[in-house]
Amino acid sequence: MLIADEFFLIAHNDTRGKAKLHPAATGLGLAGGLLGELILYGHVTVASGQVTVIDRRPPADALAHTVLDQLIGEAQHQSVRTWLSFLAQTAATSVGERLARAGVLRRQENRRLLRTTVTYQPIDLNVAAWPATRLRAVLERSDPPSVPDALVLGLVAAAGLTREVLWSAGPRAHHRLNLIIPALPAPLKELVAHTESAVGAAVLRGIP
Amino acid sequence: MSSTATTERQSNVSEALARGRLGVPSVIFFVLSAAAPLTVVAGVVTTGYGVIGVLGIPLAFLAVAAVLALFSAGYVAMARRTANAGAFYAYVTRGLGRPAGVGTAWVALIAYNALQVGLYGTIGAAAEPVLDRLFGIQPQWWVVALVAWALVGVLGLLRVDINGMVLAALLCAEIAVIVVFDLGQLGNPAGGSVSFAAFSPDNFFVPGVGAVLVLAILGFVGFEASVVFSEESKDPKRTVPMATYLSVAIIAVVYALSSWSMTVAVGPDRIVEEAGTQSVGLIFNLAGAHLGSTVLTIGEALFLTSVLAAMISFHNTTARYTFALGRERVLPAVFGRTSPATGAPQAASLAQSVLGLLVIVLYAVNGWDPVLQLFFWLGTSGGFGVLLMIATTAVAIIAYFARSGEQETLWRRLIAPGIAAIALTAIIVLAVQNFANLLGVEPDSPLRWIFPAVYPVAALLGGLWGVMLRRNRPDTYARIGLGAESAAAIVAAPSDSGPVPTSAEVRR
Repeated sequence: MLIADEFFLIAHNDTRGKAKLHPAATGLGLAGGLLGELILYGHVTVASGQVTVIDRRPPADALAHTVLDQLIGEAQHQSVRTWLSFLAQTAATSVGERLARAGVLRRQENRRLLRTTVTYQPIDLNVAAWPATRLRAVLERSDPPSVPDALVLGLVAAAGLTREVLWSAGPRAHHRLNLIIPALPAPLKELVAHTESAVGAAVLRGIP
Repeated sequence: MSSTATTERQSNVSEALARGRLGVPSVIFFVLSAAAPLTVVAGVVTTGYGVIGVLGIPLAFLAVAAVLALFSAGYVAMARRTANAGAFYAYVTRGLGRPAGVGTAWVALIAYNALQVGLYGTIGAAAEPVLDRLFGIQPQWWVVALVAWALVGVLGLLRVDINGMVLAALLCAEIAVIVVFDLGQLGNPAGGSVSFAAFSPDNFFVPGVGAVLVLAILGFVGFEASVVFSEESKDPKRTVPMATYLSVAIIAVVYALSSWSMTVAVGPDRIVEEAGTQSVGLIFNLAGAHLGSTVLTIGEALFLTSVLAAMISFHNTTARYTFALGRERVLPAVFGRTSPATGAPQAASLAQSVLGLLVIVLYAVNGWDPVLQLFFWLGTSGGFGVLLMIATTAVAIIAYFARSGEQETLWRRLIAPGIAAIALTAIIVLAVQNFANLLGVEPDSPLRWIFPAVYPVAALLGGLWGVMLRRNRPDTYARIGLGAESAAAIVAAPSDSGPVPTSAEVRR
């Protein structure tokens, strides 16, 4: 499963699709996931706070393709923080739609008091609950996690969702999580750090 | 950063990000609603006349406004170049070093907490007429304070920042009521003629002038928040400076006019005595006599909402300060965590609430006077703390520009902050001399030394803590002053230094 998809499932309730995380952090965490996917595929890299495109061939995934096109099309914007803020505005919808296309979630419109809200409800509970369960198991094992798993864990911690994933885990899992993020490859480590900064800045600004 | 902001080509990214950006009016509304004008006019100014006994309060507002406008010239210029721009200690860190920054952060925590907790002392007085009229009940002040405390605590945890539109509407209503009150007072001068004695320098340069100046600073607290939006505003070079100057000017005019019109209506010779006996009720009693009961009722209701809004705003300010320090790991990391569902800085908010509860209980059990000893003492002490921070920041601004060699006009980097620093230092010296007047205690009371001494002690301890961090936890030391941005600082060099490398850019 893709990085942003796993983050989406962890950040939402696995039975009714309700958000567990406030919208600002959800958007930024997902934006971090989308950029992270492009870094893992080798399309872009992050250094000194700047995103740089290194491979312009289209990625297989449609959403990753769209994001890469945006990065190429607006090369005057390179700051990671700018891209995180920009992608965060639409990430919940675009990643929700991607999971709906993949048959993991079902788009549901709720009409309440003249406002229509969209939620994405799990089709199969086990599929929706799997990322959190799997990552918890990863943290319980002593061998180091794969890079994609470590990235999801890093983004989860950056968005302030650690306790949602580790609610039943022991102190060793917490300790291990603290070691995983510093061990990430440099571009991913920086991406996670900028996501954490952006989430904190959103809290300080006080505007949800 | 700013080099990418202006581009001829249509940009989806710029457009999408600009949509939520604030203009000058929005920033002014944000600043003024935190300043809670009716709380200051009805609560601080009346108590100030009564306690300090100096007529020159209107002139003090104008003098302080001039100093703060000078200070703001350098302040907004540095804000554009500073992460965590809403916090004075961020400026001190970059200008005067990290230990000084931690010292300032300690001072800030005490000052903002004092300002917030002090407001619990006046909510009883503010609610009394409203509750009496609505339900015919007259509860103890601490019952009202505890209800307000619970409300603030819950809203803080749920992160219900009151809707901006509601705050803006309340603010407009408050200012309208203040102006109507002022006109009523000016239309009914004592002795039949309008007296300008309150603006006379003879009534300003008297023993107690330092106390009056601290009181005036207290009225302006909140103006520093405008720079929080340095990066979120439509035009960082124009929006925030404009909003800051206009906020200071509006506050100055409203407060000077109101404090002067009170002296006109009561009479310059009797204002001190009347304010001493009627306290917070003074302007409402005047309004009742001049304007009738409808305007009076509206005014009393708005005073209550104004105090509540100020409480919530200061609670959130304090909680965010604590959160930023937790993010840097200068305070325990738990303060840097948020509630996942709401994004509220949970532990920080709870800590502030616990402090508020302790103080309310302490005052209730000992039977201390809520308006004078809680509201006025803690309020003015908090104002004094903010004064110390502004003065330190003014020096830090000069040091920062001197060391970094950043391009800036001589006026903004040296002259304006220099004059402001000298003036603020003079105010501090006068304030310390007059602290007994400020508190309304005997000149030999130990309290006149204890209250002002809290800050240098805290600054010293904070500085020592900073030095200890340098030795024991260099990672944390490197993050000091960066607030939420500290997370990114440990992996990358600060992104605002040096030009952006362009060689790796993709070609179209």
